[in-house]
Amino acid sequence: MTSTVASSPASSAKALEPRTRIAVAGLSKTYGAASRQVTAVDNVSFEVRQGEFVALLGPSGCGKSTILNMVAGLLPKSAGSIRIDADDVEQGLVNRKVGYVFQRDTVFPWRTVEANIGYGLEIAGLPRQQRRDKVESAIETAGLTGFGRSFPRMLSGGMRQRVALMRTLIMEPEILLMDEPFGALDTHTKLEMHKTLLDIWERERQTVLFVTHDLGEALTLSSRIILLSARPGRLKDDFAVGFARPRDAVSLRETPEFARLYTHIWHSLGEEFRRTKAK
Amino acid sequence: MTQRRFEILFWQFAILVVILAVWQWGYDACKATLPKSLVPGILDPYFISKPTAIWSSFLKLACFADKAGTSACLSANDNNLWIATLVTLKNTWWGFLWGTLAGIAAGLILGRSEFLAKIFEPYVVALNSIPRIALVPLIILMFGLGDLSKIVTAAIVVFFVLFFNTFEGTRSVDRDQIAAARLLGASEMTVLRTVVVPSALAWVFASLTPAVSFALIGVIVGEFIGAERGLGKLIIEAEARANAAEMMVSIFVMMIVGIGLAYIVRRLQSHLLRWQPQFDQQQ
Repeated sequence: MTSTVASSPASSAKALEPRTRIAVAGLSKTYGAASRQVTAVDNVSFEVRQGEFVALLGPSGCGKSTILNMVAGLLPKSAGSIRIDADDVEQGLVNRKVGYVFQRDTVFPWRTVEANIGYGLEIAGLPRQQRRDKVESAIETAGLTGFGRSFPRMLSGGMRQRVALMRTLIMEPEILLMDEPFGALDTHTKLEMHKTLLDIWERERQTVLFVTHDLGEALTLSSRIILLSARPGRLKDDFAVGFARPRDAVSLRETPEFARLYTHIWHSLGEEFRRTKAK
Repeated sequence: MTQRRFEILFWQFAILVVILAVWQWGYDACKATLPKSLVPGILDPYFISKPTAIWSSFLKLACFADKAGTSACLSANDNNLWIATLVTLKNTWWGFLWGTLAGIAAGLILGRSEFLAKIFEPYVVALNSIPRIALVPLIILMFGLGDLSKIVTAAIVVFFVLFFNTFEGTRSVDRDQIAAARLLGASEMTVLRTVVVPSALAWVFASLTPAVSFALIGVIVGEFIGAERGLGKLIIEAEARANAAEMMVSIFVMMIVGIGLAYIVRRLQSHLLRWQPQFDQQQ
């Protein structure tokens, strides 16, 4: 099942490996009553290590968002275990180390861009002046300079998603869970967002679990791709994405290595897309 | 654009002039020209008075036309137009305020708790089925002829309007926004304060304009049934004397009060809801 990590040899080398931040084991999710049970996620196990950018890739409806939501504690699991560092993830319990970015637009429309980005700091009770400094630099990082006082309805979808991203990142989460955050954006805006995210991540190196159905996106951003099968979601494959960093979201796509890995994973992914369609 | 505006204003003004003219001279003109059976009884000044008569009644009731002087007239009558208006306005305001606060609080609590909502549902349905006006005699019996019974009446009327709107608003809050707030470290109370309330506010405000009119209706009906002062009391007194002009004065004052209250609420609304597209520009 694992094609790359399996080759790592002795236990001495293991000590040098970064520590495991997210450990998912035997995770399953079923919906409905016993007679008409639907399995969304079936016995999935994987680990994400410190500083890894892992893409969870699979066709629509394969349960990848369900997995992420269980890791975030937003959804109860049916079986298996999820650990973040040494702690079991309990549904409804918020882990301060974890940041989450939704696919849907969840910025607060009644708050200005500034107030949205500063939300977490505000409720944590950070003094106004410190908050303002942080928010200002976040606005600059996100390329939203000049829009601090705007309300979200005045912004485009891409800009709103930048606000949502910065609202999460300003809390300096060590672990970042992202649920197809750029899924609703057009191709050009998506590329711009990739640039921004790569810039930030290559500086901060958070541990990221990123759900997507877009292979190009997964290859551009991640250092590892976990491929899920069509519903019910099972682990299908695990690829290392070794492109050099810092990466350029646009020119990376023109390299032969990118094309080779793309084709390679595409065959594997294509089978799953066909299976989804056949259903 | 401005051309159109001018045209609209012109027609609005023209209609006003026609209404006032028919009101003032219509009945006499009909009586002079038409056979008796065709004269419209509805235009009889006995019922609807006349603009000039209403105006002089206004001057009299407002103490502008008293021989003893305005201030002497004002102190002689403890239900002159000014006091009556202030009393009605004051009772409307307090009834509106208490009804609004209680309605929002109840709506938030039941909206956030499925359990409590289920328990109270039959009671809410039952109470809401009572025509509020039917309670007024009972309220006056309980709280007396003074201002308190009017405030309670207005508050009860307003309460249900605000309760249902807040309840719906609270239930329609985006679940993902609540999840986002929680993931950013918000406690249940913080979620309520920073997500549920602002998001339900759009619903709450949508109901404030009708609520303020309902509060005024509640107070006036209370004054009809039993009161010492107020615009409603003025109308009842004028009715006893079959004085249409004085009734009309009170009705016009109520109209102006109603417009004023609605305007204030609308201004507040467009400020607090400025994040919503429909409140982009000041109307």
